[in-house]
Amino acid sequence: MSRQKEKVIAIAALLALAVFPLVASPRIGGEVKNILVFCILTMGLNVVVGYAGLLQLGIAAFFGIGAYITGILTVSQFPFQWNFWPATLAATLGSAVAGAILAAPTLRLRGDYLAIVTLGFGEVVKFAIKNLENITNGSRALNPIPAPDNLLDWNGNYRWYYYLALVMVVLVALLLRRLEDSHLGRAWFAIREDELAATCMGLNAAQVKLSAFAFGAALAGLAGALYAASLNQTGGPDSYTFNRSITVLCFLIIGGMGNLRGAIAGTFILMGYDNILTPWIDEAVQNSGAQWKFSTFKLVIFGLALILMMRFRPEGFFPSRRAEEDAAG
Amino acid sequence: MLILLQQLINGLTTGTLFALIAIGYTMVYGIIELINFAHGDLFMLGAFLALTIVTRLGLEDAGVAGAAGGIVLTFLCSMGFCAGLNFLQDRIVYRPLRNAPKLTPLVSAIGVSFVFMGLGQIWKGVADINFPDVIPNQNLLGTDALRFTAKDLLVILVTTPLMAGLTLFVRYTKMGKAMRATAQNPTAARLMGIDVDRVIGWTFAIGGLLAGAASVIYGLTINTVSFQMGYQNGLYAFTAAVLGGIGNLPGAMLGGMVIGLVRSLGSQYVGEQWTSALVFGILILLLVFRPSGLLGARTREKV
Amino acid sequence: MNRSILRFAAAFVLVLASFGVAAEQEGGVIKIVSSLPRTGSARGQTDTIVNGIQMAIEESGNKVGAFTIKYEDLDDATAAEGQWTAEKETANADQAIKDPDVMVYIGTYNSGAAKVSMPKLNQAGLLMVSPANTWPGLTKPGKGDPGEPEKYRPSGKINYVRCVPADDIQGVVSADWAKKLGLLKVFILDDREVYGKGIADLFQARAEEIGLKVLGHEGIDAKAQEFKPLMTKIKATGPQLIYFGGTTQTKAGQLVKDMLGVGLDAKFMCPDGCFEDAFIDSAGAENLQDRALVTFGGLPPEKLTGKGAAFVANYQKKYGKFPEGYAVYGYECGKTAIEAIRRAGKKDRDAVRAAGLTIKNFDGALGRWSFDKNGDTTLRTMSGNTVKAGKFAFMAVLGED
Repeated sequence: MSRQKEKVIAIAALLALAVFPLVASPRIGGEVKNILVFCILTMGLNVVVGYAGLLQLGIAAFFGIGAYITGILTVSQFPFQWNFWPATLAATLGSAVAGAILAAPTLRLRGDYLAIVTLGFGEVVKFAIKNLENITNGSRALNPIPAPDNLLDWNGNYRWYYYLALVMVVLVALLLRRLEDSHLGRAWFAIREDELAATCMGLNAAQVKLSAFAFGAALAGLAGALYAASLNQTGGPDSYTFNRSITVLCFLIIGGMGNLRGAIAGTFILMGYDNILTPWIDEAVQNSGAQWKFSTFKLVIFGLALILMMRFRPEGFFPSRRAEEDAAG
Repeated sequence: MLILLQQLINGLTTGTLFALIAIGYTMVYGIIELINFAHGDLFMLGAFLALTIVTRLGLEDAGVAGAAGGIVLTFLCSMGFCAGLNFLQDRIVYRPLRNAPKLTPLVSAIGVSFVFMGLGQIWKGVADINFPDVIPNQNLLGTDALRFTAKDLLVILVTTPLMAGLTLFVRYTKMGKAMRATAQNPTAARLMGIDVDRVIGWTFAIGGLLAGAASVIYGLTINTVSFQMGYQNGLYAFTAAVLGGIGNLPGAMLGGMVIGLVRSLGSQYVGEQWTSALVFGILILLLVFRPSGLLGARTREKV
Repeated sequence: MNRSILRFAAAFVLVLASFGVAAEQEGGVIKIVSSLPRTGSARGQTDTIVNGIQMAIEESGNKVGAFTIKYEDLDDATAAEGQWTAEKETANADQAIKDPDVMVYIGTYNSGAAKVSMPKLNQAGLLMVSPANTWPGLTKPGKGDPGEPEKYRPSGKINYVRCVPADDIQGVVSADWAKKLGLLKVFILDDREVYGKGIADLFQARAEEIGLKVLGHEGIDAKAQEFKPLMTKIKATGPQLIYFGGTTQTKAGQLVKDMLGVGLDAKFMCPDGCFEDAFIDSAGAENLQDRALVTFGGLPPEKLTGKGAAFVANYQKKYGKFPEGYAVYGYECGKTAIEAIRRAGKKDRDAVRAAGLTIKNFDGALGRWSFDKNGDTTLRTMSGNTVKAGKFAFMAVLGED
């Protein structure tokens, strides 16, 4: 696909998404708002897995860290009571720091071992959220997170968070777009393609990996901040499980790793299936008077789709140019 | 002191279960470098089959001889079922992906895991189900201060020969040697005339066999099954495999025991709510200081 | 190029919007929605609640005055998580708020979910009726966390009522019951969820107040598969009773089995989250025989009289099975919703909300009760039940002395 055509589609999709909440029902609109928030998370994971080729199975932990930093800094039970914007910035930076702290001692681990450390870290964070009740309120979650300002009806009308999320998605996408062509972005690709060769060319592999890790974590933290704000609360520890990490990884791979189109499309396709299409079919079935529920088969269908996809189009719906060339041989 | 001893018994019996499942992960990883996420859910389906058989045969009220016969039958069925299913899984899903990038089979495995979980959910519903109490909960030691029950004995009676048998199989049989050769270097193994696909098929079948055995033991001793049991036990078993050094058979056994012990001693001395965090915390620390696990060989570069 | 952008955008919008617009409804109708976990492990209980709501609405002939009543059954759980999620609950609340026909929101099942949707629904002035939330802080000042319940009422008005007695009552009567049964040494466990931890803390406070010996209090990981090490530790402390603040879904059944597995012969008390057949199914009937002590807000279905007995008979006729404990609360919530709309007499959210809070001396299936100034039911009757031959068996009325 040429750059030109790609631009056309991106702008068209953006226009469509901008008009969408004006015509859609609030239920669907609200779901699309969630999807937009998760797009940022998927793009964050894409930096680590897609760009730098490091398997990260604990992205939900950074998502959670972002949400809880936002929560701690804004809710009325703590003395900080910051505004949403500085809290979001703090959540983004805080997650990045957490990512760097996790990555620093573990970067010398090879491929799958690194993945397992991230998995373990995700579980530890989940239990920490659950058990450190003085800070996190445990499963009661931190709430309510105040709206960014009093000028707009943030809580009554989902559209404000929708547009906020949309703007963030666009900003993050533009930033990543620039990064792809920058020195840092190329270093990530180089490490992914051939670490040995890249180090021989003078790249500091540890530094490059660390930056990818921290960058991915920062975006996950940003997504977490938005997520928490749009829910009015941090969500309990069960919102940040291994399951979530795995699902986001599936978004990325189904969409196509290593590029923004893939990350965004994958999130839309799979979350759309889970949160929009399935309830819609269920409702249709219920209205037709039948007794069964489509959602009973949701998991099996999802699983089969993953298997078939990997068999026949493993590079995802929207492969990166590089993967396309590989596939073409 | 007795409590410590009791917790050691508790830890080792559950640890043995984790070890049996962990072997399935570690063998598959050792040969094709795939983290088979579906393995835990295979174990769950095995337990569901065992539940069906035990309920059908009415083993709960079958008398000692009847129960013993029924249990043997259940073991054979579940082990055969899991072995077959695991073999088919490789044949249908993973074999076509042998030369694909590593993430491709990994995502397929996640897909298979979802399919298994979904099937389990359709098969037995979402609630926890009681697994009939066939083995008596009777203490075999004279004192009530320390308990070693018939259930604990069952765990040991079944797992020890299985593990010993597996070790001998891998060490001395032709197929076992072929497995080790393939794990070392698939290309070289193929050049030496080893049918690598057949070896991988066997590996999956054996992993499934042990998961099937573990599933029956689990049902008979823990007495609750649910469609989510595969996820949690799979995660622990997988952690066990990594802890021991993934790809390493004795490592998986050791890793299972270590996790069982961390859980039981953690519960006694740290607090129940922290036990899971403790397991994963130890995993991270261990990997930082000993990147290839307790018994793992230094990582080879596979270029 | 510009034309192609526009064409693409238009097509995109049309496709997406066709999903959305289809869901909009015409006027002349009042909608009651419920938001409960309809997939995952709480399905059994929510099925019976939804049956109860449907019965209540059907009994009104789907009409209140000139309005046709429509009921919509929303799910706040996802299959992937197997339980309620904050996103789904928010989405359900948003959907209800934006749909001008919706006048009453029945829900939630989990107190944690209520915390998500309450502030939103409050700002929209939509009446919320819960059949199952028992966290005291949702309504009662000073009984929950600091800032509760004001933080759920940003508009300053009250929009939330519940038909079920809160846990500050249940926790207290449970401890009193334990004392009455002579179970003086107790070990407390909880599942670390809003409901379970909340009630376990309340139980502990009361137990210490009335002189029971609390040997310890630990949280469990509800995703863990077995608790033998924990039970070994507890056994050494020699309890007569284990109190578990938790539900069937958070491993009540497994705790009983492992308690027996380590040879600990104690009673096992748990709150209404375990008052469902699924608890007996998962724990094994013989393990619970005369050992389980389950408290429940209100009388069990077989002990209901008057309208309650009529409800049980009708339920059996309609659904072919005996209602579970919470079915009657679903029914009562449905009745409450209808009553609020009837009293308001118009399709206006604030009128319905205000009318809901004025319900007093309501002659319902649970007996005669009112909503107090916080939106709590005045019902305080609790029952204590055990298990005999695989069925719940009523033991005592609690909390009436």
